[in-house]
Amino acid sequence: MDKEILEHGFSWNRRRFLSTMSLGIGSVALGSLLMPNLFKNGGIEEEAFTPGIPHFAPKAKRVIYLFQNGAPSQQELFDYKPKLREMTGQEIPPSVRGNQRLTGMTANQSSFPLVGSFVDFKQYGNSRAWVSDLMPYTAKIVDELCIVRSMYTEAINHDPALTFLQTGSQQGNRPSMGAWLSYGLGNENKNLPAFTVLLSRGIGNGQGVYSKLWSNGFLDSVHQGVQFSKGEDPVLYLKDPDGMSRKDRREMLDNLSELNELSYKEFGDPEIATRIKQYEMAYRMQTAVPEVMDLSKEPDDIVKLYGPDCLVPGTYAANCLLARKLSENGVRFVQLYHQGWDQHGNLPFEIAKQAKDVDQASAALVIDLKQRGLLDETLVIWGGEFGRTSYTQGRLTEDNYGRDHHPRCFTVWMAGGGIKPGMVYGETDELGYNIARDPVHVHDFQATVLNQLGLDHEKLIFKHLGRRYRLTDVSGKVIKDLIA
Amino acid sequence: MNTKLRAFAEQVLVVLNVFILFLLIFLHKLTVPYWLQPAGRMHPLVLHFPIVLLMLAIGMEVYRIANRNTNLTSFYKNFSGGLLLAGILFTGITVIMGLFLSREEGYGGDTLEWHKWTGAAVFFIASVIYWVRNKLWYSVTASWFFAVLMMLTLIVTGHYGATLTHGEDFIMQPIYANIKKPSVPIEQAIVYEHVVQPILENKCVSCHNPNKLKGELALTDSIALAKGGKTGKLFVPGNPDISLLLERVHLPLEEEKHMPPEGKPQLTREEITLLTLWIRGDAKFSQKVIDIAEGDSLRILATAILKPEDKDEKYDFSAADETTVAKLNNDYRTIAPVAKGSPALDVSIYNRDLYSTKQLDELDAIKKQVVSVSLNKLPVKDEDLKSVSRFENLRRLDLNFTDVTEKGLDALTALKHLHTLSLSGTKLSFAGLKDKIANLKSLKTLSVWNTGLTPEDVAQLKNAYRGISFIEGFKDDGKDTLKLNPPQVKNDEMVFASAIPVQLFHPVRGVQIRFTLDGTEPDSIHSPVFDNTTIIDKKTTVKAKAFKDGWYSSDAVTFDFLKNSFVPDSVVLLQPLNSVHQAEGAKTFFNKKLGAIGANNPAWANFWAGVRKNDMELVAMFNQPVTISSYGLHYMLETTTGIYPPGLVEVWGGENESRVKLLTTIKPVMPEPGGKPTLETLEASFKPQSVSCLKIIVKPHVEKDRRFLVLIDEMFLN
Repeated sequence: MDKEILEHGFSWNRRRFLSTMSLGIGSVALGSLLMPNLFKNGGIEEEAFTPGIPHFAPKAKRVIYLFQNGAPSQQELFDYKPKLREMTGQEIPPSVRGNQRLTGMTANQSSFPLVGSFVDFKQYGNSRAWVSDLMPYTAKIVDELCIVRSMYTEAINHDPALTFLQTGSQQGNRPSMGAWLSYGLGNENKNLPAFTVLLSRGIGNGQGVYSKLWSNGFLDSVHQGVQFSKGEDPVLYLKDPDGMSRKDRREMLDNLSELNELSYKEFGDPEIATRIKQYEMAYRMQTAVPEVMDLSKEPDDIVKLYGPDCLVPGTYAANCLLARKLSENGVRFVQLYHQGWDQHGNLPFEIAKQAKDVDQASAALVIDLKQRGLLDETLVIWGGEFGRTSYTQGRLTEDNYGRDHHPRCFTVWMAGGGIKPGMVYGETDELGYNIARDPVHVHDFQATVLNQLGLDHEKLIFKHLGRRYRLTDVSGKVIKDLIA
Repeated sequence: MNTKLRAFAEQVLVVLNVFILFLLIFLHKLTVPYWLQPAGRMHPLVLHFPIVLLMLAIGMEVYRIANRNTNLTSFYKNFSGGLLLAGILFTGITVIMGLFLSREEGYGGDTLEWHKWTGAAVFFIASVIYWVRNKLWYSVTASWFFAVLMMLTLIVTGHYGATLTHGEDFIMQPIYANIKKPSVPIEQAIVYEHVVQPILENKCVSCHNPNKLKGELALTDSIALAKGGKTGKLFVPGNPDISLLLERVHLPLEEEKHMPPEGKPQLTREEITLLTLWIRGDAKFSQKVIDIAEGDSLRILATAILKPEDKDEKYDFSAADETTVAKLNNDYRTIAPVAKGSPALDVSIYNRDLYSTKQLDELDAIKKQVVSVSLNKLPVKDEDLKSVSRFENLRRLDLNFTDVTEKGLDALTALKHLHTLSLSGTKLSFAGLKDKIANLKSLKTLSVWNTGLTPEDVAQLKNAYRGISFIEGFKDDGKDTLKLNPPQVKNDEMVFASAIPVQLFHPVRGVQIRFTLDGTEPDSIHSPVFDNTTIIDKKTTVKAKAFKDGWYSSDAVTFDFLKNSFVPDSVVLLQPLNSVHQAEGAKTFFNKKLGAIGANNPAWANFWAGVRKNDMELVAMFNQPVTISSYGLHYMLETTTGIYPPGLVEVWGGENESRVKLLTTIKPVMPEPGGKPTLETLEASFKPQSVSCLKIIVKPHVEKDRRFLVLIDEMFLN
């Protein structure tokens, strides 16, 4: 009898175990209904990414990034701080400065006197955005702009900050934003590269730009940025040598391509296929590039809109005009760099010159895109790699001062491409030193830009050396408030 | 249960009944002292106990009556009765607290009345149950009846109470929110009704409604809104800065008067902006969105809000065959899916020379799927648009800088979905256009910059078609006069041997360049106009300025043309150059390459040969003797970085290196420190001298043991 009871006990237990377990599994199943991605580990892989096709319908098809290299001072351009001006000459309160690391250029300074903007600000447009007197043309278009005053970055020196903004990593050797876009969206016009680069420099203290900034990193080398320079030969080695006809070139390319095919079959190196494609594109670029680079047909109105310098190759204004032409011709990402914004000293003089260089043409680009009905699908971005300090670097005199690097806050503006127009986003504290509201990290900014182009920054990935890489590395969120 | 305690509790119950009845009758005269108000405010906290107790007890009571004749333990009977009593007492306390709370400011209206009376009813019904529960007539049916009655009243009370706290439709709100409200067409949308009121509805009305008049304020409709509340009017039309509504919104969150109160969903930045803009625009209640000036922030924001969400537009056609699409793609025609998984296709065509309508006609297989076509800058004719009209699902069509006119638009009327059309830079004319636009029913955006339309024409169109956004652009109205940039020089080399044509150039069309050769400032009347015929044969400073009607004249620009008649056959440096200013070594001085300001910049530094620690000593040899009568050098001056003129220059000449004699010395006047960096020449003449060998010694400037850098790029022998 005892045995039977014991057995009964066991079987009852087994039954209970099974029924309880089924209940348990059922409740897990119920719970998982609320967490759709719970068991989808590695789902990214299944949802294979097709290069060249956006994840969702994009607002913007193209980007023009007006990079202000050297870090323009937000206090003199877009971030109006009357309190800072009032407190000029006073020491920055330790509570504001906190424990921020400083660059070697000011870390040993014995005092950190605050300095307000030497130039006045006014409110413009329906958005009543504050813009300094150094930017009269930009001021006229504030209702087209979304001014983000609360950008912040992690790097404190030019090269890492620039590299971080462009590639999502401070160390470099990752693909640049333009390369990611080229990879994600492909060429719109097969006669021009998807990613082009234009350089110019102002008279202000300059910082270098290096070709690593438009690198394709580990992506296929078709995605590398192509630099268009001023002068007779905008794209190096594109021109046929004297005496070579287009027919000769064609024959030569056909034969070369046959040879390349052979070696591709033998080695299977994808770079060979890339090379074949590149030669073909270069051949078509031979006719497309001169057409794009020819500014002589631009009407007088356009010259007046951008300012007369737009006809002087190599200037910022000319590059803005070219950027419009390239973008109009389906170039996905036009990257401009304008050097000379690194005002450690002599800021009032230099920044006035720098602002004059870029103000009219930047505004003109936005107006020009708009009047062609292209602004809604072209995202224009204006900004540097970080901001500048509220305290002066070096000696503060009656009419002169400088500002050091400041990663904690800086201003960028965006226009078009489905970004909310006529908006000022984010706020810094009264001294313009820390962000008071709505911080935007560099990765957030990148995620937002990708989002506008129909790309999910968490899905635009490339597996390299056993790791999946993204432009936004492992963080970043789309700032929904910026999107129209 | 202790019988004594029970008897006491029953007496308390009687007291409560009377007290509550009294309170209910004289409620309007009741003023709750401030120290008792917290008791009232504990109503929402306490009310949960009686609910649970009553529900449990009433269940047990029904069971007890139903099993009256069986052997229920006395413990059960006792416990059930005690539980019911405790529940009723708690109910009584809760009712009293609720009555106190109802006297506080901010409560009123129908919902409160219903809550009050049903709540009291629960208490009275439960009391009755307690008193009749042991009567003989209290049958099972009766017990069921009372139980159900009480439960129903309890539920109704709870519902009204929750409505008071959380607002109407609190429970179903997520469901309602998910059901898309039919969006108002933008043409009919009213700013207040469709933009402002929904904000208040979402964030304010749960406390400010006729039922819960917090601060004696309701925000449910325009009349109540205009009336304001206890503190006064909500806003001063046109003046958001002093409007109470915004003051409350902008107060710091910790502030007691901040609205919505801490812990409630706050207004977003956008909502605050909208309210501000609406008040600034005089807080009109009947203004339509499209009546606001285009470009006004209020209109932009309102439009964005009212815009039906088009996240990944749904298309009612199926995807085209992938291989067909791939086949139709070629070097000059790009066809790409709008997005992954979307059947829609974008088409862009490039290259003016290769364009023909065939490129459009070939797309017949995918005519359903094409939603956007870009034909910018192609020679598209009006009749070609018939080929475009086959794309029945077309949304966007770019025809900037094509040859189409308004006549071509007829073909587009078949496109029922076309919302964006770009016609900038075309020969569009106003006549006829006005009526043709009416046929493009779904059009939302039309670009008409740089066409035959005048600003007045566009204004007329804007008036006629309120729902369409017309994009104009920049037109030079002559108001903004710009300054020309200075002329440029196109000569490859500025150093010449005998004579050189001056090649000046200006990038802007129609610019007049005027110049002088004597160092004076060119003017627009007397100075000669540059016409490419000027040839100079001696060292000359050309000053030039650009002029054009409608522009300010440029700054004057100076070009130095420098003459060097003799290039030595060999040059040897006897002492080293500064390591970072090597330029082309000994070849630097007669290579016709001039340096620019900014010696520390590598790209520019190449042409500058410099010394500081030692003298610059060079020997120049000629195979055939030459007769020279002057020597010159070109140097940089940048005192701020310590780049100074040479302290002393000695020029020695003769037949060969060992038989040279001093021809001349130059001792420049040292400049004052400071000043702008410039490029300068030094020159000295002497009696004509036949030489085969020249020895030139340049000594850096020395001041109090400090030696200054000398930078030289060219030398001149004439």
